Amino acid sequence: MAPNRGSFAGVRTGELALERNDAGMAVLTISGEHDLSTAPNLRRRLDSLLAERTPVVIDLSPATFIDSSILGVILEGRRRAADAGIGFAVVHSNGADAVDRVLEVTGLRAELPVHSRREEALSEVSGSSGKPPE
Amino acid sequence: MTDGGFELTLPATAENVMVVRQAVAGLGEALSLSGSRIADLKTVVTEACNNVVLHAYDDEPGPLQVTAVPGDEQLEIHVADEGHGFRPRAKDGDASLGLGLPLIAALSDSFEISGGARQGSRTTIRFGYAPPDFSNNGTHTQAPKELAMAIPPGVMVRPVLARVMGALAARAEFSVDRLADTMLLGDAVSSSGEGDFSDGRVGISITDGDGALGVRVGPLVTGAGERLMAEMDVPGAGSLRSLASSMEIAKGETPQGEAAEFLVFEVER
Repeated sequence: MAPNRGSFAGVRTGELALERNDAGMAVLTISGEHDLSTAPNLRRRLDSLLAERTPVVIDLSPATFIDSSILGVILEGRRRAADAGIGFAVVHSNGADAVDRVLEVTGLRAELPVHSRREEALSEVSGSSGKPPE
Repeated sequence: MTDGGFELTLPATAENVMVVRQAVAGLGEALSLSGSRIADLKTVVTEACNNVVLHAYDDEPGPLQVTAVPGDEQLEIHVADEGHGFRPRAKDGDASLGLGLPLIAALSDSFEISGGARQGSRTTIRFGYAPPDFSNNGTHTQAPKELAMAIPPGVMVRPVLARVMGALAARAEFSVDRLADTMLLGDAVSSSGEGDFSDGRVGISITDGDGALGVRVGPLVTGAGERLMAEMDVPGAGSLRSLASSMEIAKGETPQGEAAEFLVFEVER
């Protein structure tokens, strides 16, 4: 199944976008609806970024839905990044209620923590010992 | 708001969970639920379906059945499969059962999972149209300050009560002798009959104090407390009453507000 399937009936299915900045950090932006069917794709993208020791910011702001399997991938990514000393941060800025609610109810907003501004998240990972800028 | 609802049967695949999610979102809109409540509904149903997709069929094809029945106050949702129940299976990176069930629990009014090995599983979710109240920070009931038991009269009373009192006495570091005394008193209380108790159930509450157990038996019908105390007298050998540091009949009320009496005693370490 292709990871990006666009939109139908007003429903945005899950999309992932990867940006890299000059400081060698990656921002993985999650938009639309993400669940069990898109979790493997997110896991692969995170795996390859962590394998190349790239500090990662996951931006959930454009996501309209995430389930526990997505939270599981994010938690697993955070654990692996911490073990390897690679920067890892999550941001959710003015995003969907559905995502807010899941982060709140699971306590992950405080646990991860989830930043409310992308700059804060980038600043958190910039202090990590990830891949030096080229 | 009692019409409508749907039944949906489709292959239990990860890609199909989104289909179910959209169906319940549409139903939520038709029921005029708020946006945040529709989001909750999508989460709850998604997590229940995830459990079927991940755990019901061991990668074999099988059906995912979802029924939504709107009632006056809440939506009842059944998510069922014909698999072998929720087998514990470690899947790489799968945290669904770790967070999924707590999410269902937090966002619904109640839920239950039934079924077992080789008979499929069924998750029933009762989802209130109004959001659950998080204002008390998730603590829905006060922790009881004492242990309260209600046991139907009969053969169960003696073994259950003796073991509970023994466990509490042991935890309070009673000596072996005092432990035996406590269990003897428990036995004496167990001898009370169905007719002694106002509501036909043997009611006992035990307060675990500092080196002492406070026991309150009742609500009893009038006169039953005196009778219980009298039965503790052993002709020619004193009374079991002396094993307690205090024992009295106290006046009180049943939960329904009717006058009743209680046998109250304390056992010290």
